[in-house]
Amino acid sequence: MPKHDTPMLDELEKGPWPSFVSDLKRQAETHDECWDILGQMEMSYRDKITHWKHGGIVGVFGYGGGIVGRYSDMPKEFPGVEHFHTVRVAQPSGMYYSTKNLRDLMDLWGKYGSGMTNFHGSTGDLIFLGCRTEALEPLFWDLTHDLKQDLGGSGSNLRTPSCCLGESRCEWSCYDTQDICYALTMHYQDEVHRPAFPYKFKFKFSGCANDCVAAIARSDFAVIGTWKDDIQMDQAAVKEYMAGNYPSNAGAHADGDWGAFDIQKEVIDLCPTECMWMEGDELKIDNSECTRCMHCINVMPRALRPGKEKGATICIGAKAPILDGAQFATLVIPFAKVSKDNNYENIIDYIELIWDWWMEVGKNRERVGETIQRIGLPTFLSVMEVDPIPQHVREPRSNPYIFWKEEEVPGGWERDVDEFRRKHAA
Amino acid sequence: MAMSLEEVEAAIIAKANKSPKPQLYIKDFYKCDSERKPREIKNIANKLVTKGELMFWSSGSTTMYARPDRIKNEEGDSGVN
Repeated sequence: MPKHDTPMLDELEKGPWPSFVSDLKRQAETHDECWDILGQMEMSYRDKITHWKHGGIVGVFGYGGGIVGRYSDMPKEFPGVEHFHTVRVAQPSGMYYSTKNLRDLMDLWGKYGSGMTNFHGSTGDLIFLGCRTEALEPLFWDLTHDLKQDLGGSGSNLRTPSCCLGESRCEWSCYDTQDICYALTMHYQDEVHRPAFPYKFKFKFSGCANDCVAAIARSDFAVIGTWKDDIQMDQAAVKEYMAGNYPSNAGAHADGDWGAFDIQKEVIDLCPTECMWMEGDELKIDNSECTRCMHCINVMPRALRPGKEKGATICIGAKAPILDGAQFATLVIPFAKVSKDNNYENIIDYIELIWDWWMEVGKNRERVGETIQRIGLPTFLSVMEVDPIPQHVREPRSNPYIFWKEEEVPGGWERDVDEFRRKHAA
Repeated sequence: MAMSLEEVEAAIIAKANKSPKPQLYIKDFYKCDSERKPREIKNIANKLVTKGELMFWSSGSTTMYARPDRIKNEEGDSGVN
């Protein structure tokens, strides 16, 4: 029996598409609090204001993240959602689950919480929605002891690192994304579980520029696979594509009628740096101009492959807030080796240069990308101990002045001007 | 002369007791010992949480620190339990 009248929400059950309202009603058959979600949401739709309060001191002992307090501001009317905390569970690298693991997680969540989930949150965590305060510690115990899984990050913590499925299934991956994701998660356990920064900080690891975890759009520290040498090319396979014997994009768009494959139109003309051309029936690439965007490789995977000298580009400072100010990450390190042989020490060095600087100069609730914008990329590059290169520059400069540093000027600021004037008359 | 660990802890607790608002950002504690790096101050503040001298208050996106007796949780009790 419905506990609350929900005429506006009921409208959302009409039509051919799936309805979260129907899902909540079905869940309410075993978890009564789901009726109160519907009741409170109906009231919010009517009042045009949220009735959720978020934040607070709830958590599990020893951790400063992983739980986000949430409360109803109408607890008498909706007692089932008086406490309705969010639990963030760290996702496995590459989001690989066994069905047993998923069933165990749902059994656990059905026992201690509402059973409602969000798979996955934008950081990548499994989000469990709706738990009372007194259920948090028992849930945490069972999660860590029985399922051997951990909470993810929240608040001013290092957020749960995430990665694409990398070399486990993808031949384009330029490094082992899952290994570095796991290694850095373990290396930075303190930063994941306890607040450390002026605001959130996210790592994301993509094996190539297709960037399947959207690292360049969503992470403060995006490690995106790339290569340094030439694209590997099989001219015989290029001819097979041109003859229509191999499907473009590995057949990914085969359900549409796109006509015969046209290498000029679909590959060469779409190269962002115009570094490809045909000479007779041979495809040519000026690799010095290639920006490693992956487009040509995506279209002709049997003919073109990433080069052999692999590593990653590191871009810093993306954020994707809901309200305003979304920005992509900025290229800072064009090429870095990503190797478990050195325990990722060079990557860790970059991370800690950023943290030491940002913790000092970053304002409260300021993402590192905003700090870079406020203080300037030249300063940030010097923090990162990187010499500027043309790829760091977005557009020709509009400021006519050059600001020299003292160490860049022979003799510094204290040089002998009289001595200078003896050779250079004013 | 450099401050001892105990002196820094005491300065952090005093700052948390005297601030107009009960919740403080980690940066608010940096000046408790300006000779220490921010990461050291963070580690000391987090240690004070495990000792029960401070507690975390999180909005979900940002985490702040507060003295347990200066902050109430949403359930109406003192945060101490």
